[in-house]
Amino acid sequence: MTKREIAGRRVRPKRRSAVDLKAAANLVGLLAKYLGLVVLFPTALALWYGDPVWPFLATGAITSGLGLVLERATAGAAPRVGVREGFLVVSAMLLMSGAFASLPYLFTGGDQLSYPIDAYFEGMSGATTTGATVLTDFDELSRSLAMWRQFTQWLGGMGIIILAVAVLPRLRVGGRQMMESELPGPEVAQLPERIRQTARLLWGLYVGLTVVLVLVLASLGWLGIDEEMTEYEAVAHAFTTIPTGGFSTRPNSIAAFSAAAQWIIALFMLLAAANFVLLYRGIVRRRPKVFAHDEEFRLYLAIVVVASVAVTIQLWGYGIATGEEAVREGVFQTISLITTTGYATTDFALWPVLSLMTLFALMFAGGSAGSTTGSIKAVRHLLVGKVLRRELDQTVSPEVVMPIRLNGTPVDERTLRAIAAFILLYVGFWVVGASVIAIDSAIGGVSLGGLDTLAVSASALGNVGPALGVTGPMASYAPLGDVSKVTMILLMWVGRLEIIPVVVLVTRHYWRL
Amino acid sequence: MRIFLIGAGQVGFAVVEALHHDHEVTVLDTEPSRLAALAERYDVATVKGDGTSRRDLAAAGVQNADLVIACTSRDEVNLVAGMFARKEAKNATSVIRTSNVEYVELWRAGQLDVDFVVCSELETAHAISRILGVPAARQTDVFAEGQVQIVEFDVEEGASQGTVGVPLRGAGFPRDSKVAAIIRGGEMRLPGGDDVILPGDRIVIIGSPQAAQEWSALLAPGESTVRDVVIYGAGRVGSAIARVLLEQGFNVRLIEASRERARQVAETLPGARVYNATGVDPDFLERERIGRTHAAIFAMRDDAKNLYAASLAEVHGVKFTIGIAHEAVSLEAFEHAGIDVSVNPRGVTAEEIIRFAHDPRTKQIALLEGNRYEVIDVTLRDSSDYIGKKFKEMPVRGALIGAVIRNGSAIFPHADDVLQAGDRVIVFTEAADAPRVVSAL
Repeated sequence: MTKREIAGRRVRPKRRSAVDLKAAANLVGLLAKYLGLVVLFPTALALWYGDPVWPFLATGAITSGLGLVLERATAGAAPRVGVREGFLVVSAMLLMSGAFASLPYLFTGGDQLSYPIDAYFEGMSGATTTGATVLTDFDELSRSLAMWRQFTQWLGGMGIIILAVAVLPRLRVGGRQMMESELPGPEVAQLPERIRQTARLLWGLYVGLTVVLVLVLASLGWLGIDEEMTEYEAVAHAFTTIPTGGFSTRPNSIAAFSAAAQWIIALFMLLAAANFVLLYRGIVRRRPKVFAHDEEFRLYLAIVVVASVAVTIQLWGYGIATGEEAVREGVFQTISLITTTGYATTDFALWPVLSLMTLFALMFAGGSAGSTTGSIKAVRHLLVGKVLRRELDQTVSPEVVMPIRLNGTPVDERTLRAIAAFILLYVGFWVVGASVIAIDSAIGGVSLGGLDTLAVSASALGNVGPALGVTGPMASYAPLGDVSKVTMILLMWVGRLEIIPVVVLVTRHYWRL
Repeated sequence: MRIFLIGAGQVGFAVVEALHHDHEVTVLDTEPSRLAALAERYDVATVKGDGTSRRDLAAAGVQNADLVIACTSRDEVNLVAGMFARKEAKNATSVIRTSNVEYVELWRAGQLDVDFVVCSELETAHAISRILGVPAARQTDVFAEGQVQIVEFDVEEGASQGTVGVPLRGAGFPRDSKVAAIIRGGEMRLPGGDDVILPGDRIVIIGSPQAAQEWSALLAPGESTVRDVVIYGAGRVGSAIARVLLEQGFNVRLIEASRERARQVAETLPGARVYNATGVDPDFLERERIGRTHAAIFAMRDDAKNLYAASLAEVHGVKFTIGIAHEAVSLEAFEHAGIDVSVNPRGVTAEEIIRFAHDPRTKQIALLEGNRYEVIDVTLRDSSDYIGKKFKEMPVRGALIGAVIRNGSAIFPHADDVLQAGDRVIVFTEAADAPRVVSAL
C-alpha cells in the first residue's frame, strides 16, 4: 500500500448512515395519515352523548395533518423499507400512537389528565395495552372520552402495523419483519401464509372475538342477569378484554359487575392470550385437537391451573373468601395477571404475601406467542427450560447432540440465542426500571415498598397494568413522580415491542454501514 | 430369460454372478474397463453406453429384454433408465436400485412407473433387524411373510447338552424346526437321523420364528435378547438401520463424527440419542458405557474404520458386533477379526434383485455362505412327482424341504406328512443344484 492510498483513505467523505431515514419517515407519515381517521368513531359517540366533538376532530386533524406533511416532505423516498428501517418504523409508530391517544386527554382531560406527562402516560398505557392509569376520579370523564380510552387499547392490541399490512398494498413487501416485531413472541414458527392473508386472519379473528364478547356481555344486561352491564359497558370492556389491556370505565374494575360477567371475561382473557393462529385452526377450522397437541398452550394452561388452585387455597384458608367466591377470585386474578390484562375483581393488593408472590410471579409468565399479551410468554419459558435440560445432559455427556424441538419441529439455534438474549434484557430492564423508580420515589417522598417498586417496574414492562401496594388494582399511579412515570412509559414502550426492536436502535452497528 | 442390466459395479457383478448360468444377460455401463473385467469372468454380452440415453439403451437392445435391472450407484441414472426401459420394452419387468427411502415410499404409493424398487440401505437395515431378533445367529432370512425363518448358527463349546453330540433322531430340538444342513470344514451335508452336531459346526435351521429364538437360546445359553444398540456412523446406511430399529422399539444410540451430519440425524430421528464423536476415544467409550450395550453395529463409510472401531468396542466389552462391509473382500477380514456378523449392503441388494429373475413359480430365494447355498420358496407343479408322497419316502438328493406353505400358513412337516397340489415348499440346496431342484419339483 502506498502512502497516497493511506492518505486517500483518511480524507474519505463522512460516513453515510446505513438507515434510509427518508423512507422510514415517509412510511410513518403514511401510517399517521390513515391513523387520524379512526377518530370518526369517538366523534360519532360524542355526537350521540352530546359531548364536545372538537377534541376528537382536532386529534384526527393534527395526526393526519402531520402525517400528510411528513409524507409530502419525504416525497420521492424509496417505496420499500428494509430490515433496518422496519425497526425504526415500528418503534416510532408506537411512540406516535401513544401521543395520538393522549391528545383528547390533553384537550378535555381536566385536572387529572391535562398535564402532558399524565396524558402521555395514559395514552401509552392504552397504545401498549398495559392498563396502568393515573385516573383517580373516573366519573369526571365524559362518556365519549371514557370510551376513547378503552378504544385506544383495542387499536393497540393487535397492532396498527398489522392492520396496515392487512389493508395497505404498499406494505406487502417488507411488511413481514415489521409485523413480526409487532406480533408478540419469538419467530419460532414462520407463518406459512402470505403476510397479507396472515394479517387479515389475525385482525379478522380479533374483531370476531370482540364482537362475540360484546354480544355475550350485552345479553347479560338484556336478560337482567347483570343490571350494570349495559351495551356501553359491554363494548367498553370487550375493547379492553380481547387485547388483554385492562382499562375499565369503573374505578373498581370488574368488581362492579356480576359473577357471571366476571366468569365470561375470565374465559375471554384466557382465550385472547392463546396463540391466534392456534385459535384460528382450533375454532374457525374446527380442529380442537390442536390445543391438546400444542406444547406452548399446554404449558400456559398448566400454569393457569396450578396458580389458580394455589391462590384459591390461600384465599379460602385465610378466610378472605369462601366457596364459589374464593374460586372465582383466585381464577380471575390469576388469569388477569398471566394474560397481562390487569383487571381485578377484588383489591388483591390487600392479599396475604404468599398470594401476592404468586401474582407477582405470574407477571413474568405471560400468555402465548402470537397473542396480544405482554411479558416473557410461555413459549420462551418452555424453550429455555429445554435448553437448560440439554445443558444438564451435556454436562454428563458432552458429545450428545440434542436439537431443541417445539411441537416436534427442531428450533433454530439462533432463535434460542435470541430468546436467551431477550430474557436477559428483560430482567435487565426490569431491574434498572425498578431502581430508577425507587430512587425517584425516595426523593419525591412517595411511600413505595420494596416489593411494590419491583412490581411497578415488572407491571409496566410486562404491559400488565396494576402493581401491588399503593399502586394496586383499585389505586392509581397518580402519586408517582414524573421521572417514575416517564420510566414507566419507556418500559411500556420497550415491553410492547419485546425489547429487541427498540434496543437495536441504540447500537452503533445499526446506524453505520 | 433375457436380462438387461444397467450398471456393472459391485451390485451388478453380484447379480451377474448369480444369473449368468441360466439367463441371457446383457450389461450396459459407461466404463469400458468395468465391462472388460465382467466379460472376462462371465459369459455375458457387454455394451458401452449411458443408461440415461434412450438411444444407447435402444442400440444395446433393451427392447428385447424380459427383465430390466438398473443398479448403478446413482439413483437418478436408475430412475431415468427405468423410465426409458418402460417405453422401449413394454412387457419387461423393471427393477431399479435406489439408496433413497423416499423413492421406495413413492413406489409403494404407485407414483413411480417401475415394477420394483430395491433400496440397499433399507434391505441392509432389515437384514440387521433380523439378525438382532436372533442374536446367536450368523444370518437370518424370513420367508412366507415372516412365518418361516432360515437361520444360520455357529455351534460353539458353550452350547447346551442334549443339542451337541447327540444323534438328531433322539435330540430334543424345538418344535416346528428342522436342521437343514450341517457345514463342517467347508463341506455341507444334508443331515439324516444318525448325524450329530459337533462344536465348530455351522448349522442351518428352517423353522418358525419361535423355534428360531429357542434355537438361539439352546446354542448360546445366557445371551439375553437385544434391546439396546449402538450404531457407529449416521450416514445413509447407519440412519436407515437406526430408523428401522427405532420402529421396532429398540433403544438406539448413534455415534457420528461429522457435527453437521450428527445435527441432521438428531433432528430427523427424535427417538435416537446422537453423539458427535469419533467413537474411538477411550474416555468417550468409558463415559457413555458403550461396553454395556447389547449390540454394536458399525456402519461407517470406511470398512477399515469399521473394523478398527469394532475391535476397540470388543476390547471395551461389547459382546455382539455387526460390521457393515461395503467391499465384498472385507467380509472375510471382518470374520477373521472376530466381528460376529458381517453384512455387505451390495450383496444384500443383489440378493433382492436376483429374486426377480427366477422362475415365476419361485417366490423368493435366500443366499447363504457367500452364494454357495440357496433357500428357495417354490410352488409345486400340478404334475409334480412329489405330490402324494410321504416325506420319509422322499430320496435325499442334495435338497431338503424345510417347510410347506399350505393355504397361506406354514407347516413344518414330519415324516408321515404328505405334499399336496398347490403347496409351496421352502427348499434348501446348493446354489449350483438350484435350477435342477426347481425343475424337479
